[in-house]
Amino acid sequence: MSAKRDRRNKLASRGVQIAFVLGLVLLWYLGSTYWGVSPILLPNPLGVWDELKDVLGSGEFLPDLQVTLTELAIAFVISCGSGITLGYLISRSPYLIRVFEPLLAGIYSVPIILFLPLYVLFFGLGPGSKIALGATISFFPIILNTIAGFGYVDRIFITAARSMGASDWQMFRHVLLPAALPVILTGLRIGFTVALLSILGSETIASLAGLGHRIVHLAEAMEMARMFAYIVFAVAIAATLNTITSSLERRAKRQ
Amino acid sequence: MMRPRQSVQAGAGRGPAPTPWSAAHPRRIVVALRRSPALARLLVIVALILLWEAAARWWIDPIFLSPPSRVVAELDELFATQGVPGALQATFFELAVAFVMSVAIGLVIGLAVGLSRFAHRSFMPIILLLYGTPQITILPLFILYFGIGSASKIAFGVSHGIFPIIVTIVAGVQNIKPILMVAARSMGASRWQIFRWVIFPHMIPSFFAGMRLGMTGVLLGVLLAELYVSSGGIGYFTTVFTQNFDPTKLLGLISVLAAMAIVLNEIVRRAEIRFGRWRMD
Amino acid sequence: MTAGEVAIRITNVSHEFGEPGEAFHVRALANTSLEIARGELLCLIGPSGCGKSTLLNMIGGLLLPTEGTVEVGRTVVRAPLPREIAFVFQENALFPWCSVIENVKLGMVFQGVPRAEQEERARRSLEAVGLKDFMNHYPSQLSGGMRQRAALARALSLETGILLMDEPFGALDEQTRMVLGEDLSVLLARARKTIVFVTHSLGEAVFLADRVAVFSARPGTIKEIIRVDEPHPRNPGFVTTEKFARLRNQLYALLHDEIRKAVAQAAIAGPTP
Repeated sequence: MSAKRDRRNKLASRGVQIAFVLGLVLLWYLGSTYWGVSPILLPNPLGVWDELKDVLGSGEFLPDLQVTLTELAIAFVISCGSGITLGYLISRSPYLIRVFEPLLAGIYSVPIILFLPLYVLFFGLGPGSKIALGATISFFPIILNTIAGFGYVDRIFITAARSMGASDWQMFRHVLLPAALPVILTGLRIGFTVALLSILGSETIASLAGLGHRIVHLAEAMEMARMFAYIVFAVAIAATLNTITSSLERRAKRQ
Repeated sequence: MMRPRQSVQAGAGRGPAPTPWSAAHPRRIVVALRRSPALARLLVIVALILLWEAAARWWIDPIFLSPPSRVVAELDELFATQGVPGALQATFFELAVAFVMSVAIGLVIGLAVGLSRFAHRSFMPIILLLYGTPQITILPLFILYFGIGSASKIAFGVSHGIFPIIVTIVAGVQNIKPILMVAARSMGASRWQIFRWVIFPHMIPSFFAGMRLGMTGVLLGVLLAELYVSSGGIGYFTTVFTQNFDPTKLLGLISVLAAMAIVLNEIVRRAEIRFGRWRMD
Repeated sequence: MTAGEVAIRITNVSHEFGEPGEAFHVRALANTSLEIARGELLCLIGPSGCGKSTLLNMIGGLLLPTEGTVEVGRTVVRAPLPREIAFVFQENALFPWCSVIENVKLGMVFQGVPRAEQEERARRSLEAVGLKDFMNHYPSQLSGGMRQRAALARALSLETGILLMDEPFGALDEQTRMVLGEDLSVLLARARKTIVFVTHSLGEAVFLADRVAVFSARPGTIKEIIRVDEPHPRNPGFVTTEKFARLRNQLYALLHDEIRKAVAQAAIAGPTP
């Protein structure tokens, strides 16, 4: 295929994408404005836009955002610290890896969100249960990636370093850590994303504060336009955090 | 001529002195453990359960945690509670239906997008974008649109399940080595023949891997929706048991659901191993 | 030149990738003409990027020439002719999800051979290449040499008059190449097909071919054609004769400068498309 035809195709598919998205927005607008779709189901996009401006302008989102982000930060710090430490300790012995890795992977395959009611029983409806669940769920990708990172360093590097007389500390600092870092960083990114999702999830299901709770509250009050505004806001926050963690991961890996 | 074993065992510097072989000797246990990580894993699980038992019995307030012995003993009470078996059945039904729908829809979309370069370029970015958004934020919308019954839970499950299936099928169709397509063409294969005999078999491992991930997604979606709706189904009982500080029944319910999840995951995993791999060494 | 009927007629064929003026533009083959007699084995040899694989693909209908025509018998080649032409590729073109015999049969499915005949033909060709005991194995269980035997069996089972082989032994080690080369010579002597064989190996070209067409560097064209007058099947001892050495040296002399030219081109232009 010639490059000219190729370029034309690329433009055409870009066109289809934009048309598709615009088409959806148009349908949304027409549906809520002219075609009589009930505003209880589908608020007017212009109304949503107004509410969004109001939410952002008045700073109403601040307390909820603060709650969510604080829960996220604490949960992540806990899962990071415990995940990396335990992961490193397990990775020191191939036997321990063979014992614990399948176990951890197996537990992770069960949807841990199931344990939310138990955590609510323990910690109540406050931030404690969200932090606990977020930490629990994000623990697993972090520890599994840490084990994978440290445990499967190519033997040849270790042999080469030993042959050059490296001490245990030097081995860790100059061989194990740099070799394991890319995998561990990926695990941290996944852990962070998963923590955010579980915290939003637990806020939706059983909470008194936070972004997830706010959306539910507005749904129950049937304030559709404002709810949509908050959904857009929450998705934007999630997307921003994802972009930040992904680029941090990439930059750290490049070094 | 064979050397007697004696000389090997008593040999110079060949390791520790022979161990006494009484059955419960700690060394023997260690040797058995060393040889079988699976056994060690089992012991770890047993140890954790014992820890749970001890903690619940002696260290933690009984309104917060129940020991596994009591949870198991009172399972029949749990099932006798009105509405619980119904809720569990409904959940299983929702999981099954959502999974089947996810596979069907995911397969169709995945093939459509994977087989056409134009469709791939146009729609794949949109699909990936949707895959990456936190769907939990629109859970209340699903309930508003589909109601508090099974429909919304199935819908939310499908919404989580189709994306990994689409993505893996697209990869399976697109990752085919060009030389295989050239070889088929050189042998005069028609477009249908190429799809039936080359693309389709090539895509099967990806399809099964996708189903495995899809099941994880369906489990997440359905259970999230179930837990959210506190007026009926599982969500009702988790709310009731929590508010009444009944950790026994709560743990019982969670355990049954966890077992359901494990079984479903295992089925898909086994299917992948059995049918989803070309017979390779 | 030819004593018998012409099986393949290549007239003033050129091939270009991309369009002139684009960064991507490459003139792979320039104004090449060639006549291949029925039943002969012709080797195409030349530096990388000289268009020999491109020419092979055009003969087989996988590529259309930008100029000129390729005729097989009385037909102008515009698409694959699975009943007349079969391919053996360098890379592993066996389908990994099919066993060896299933792979061979699949070729016949594409060609449209009736079911009843498939089993018989598959077994015969697998026996001919020495894979009788490996029919139900999967490609991943076989060595590289055995996989290429299977690929050859698949091509043979199609019972075409023409066989096109694109560096079939290129990915194999020296010893396997030697063994396969000798076996191929025996097999082809029996099969009496017209064969066009692309290779990089000078020794292989002299050992197997009736004629060797030497290509120049890009834009490729046929520099010279050397005749190897030696009966088939080739005796393994042929390799040690003076005649062999002379022919091989002739090829070397023709190729050496072209290879250097091609390497210099690659350094400037980057990897070949």
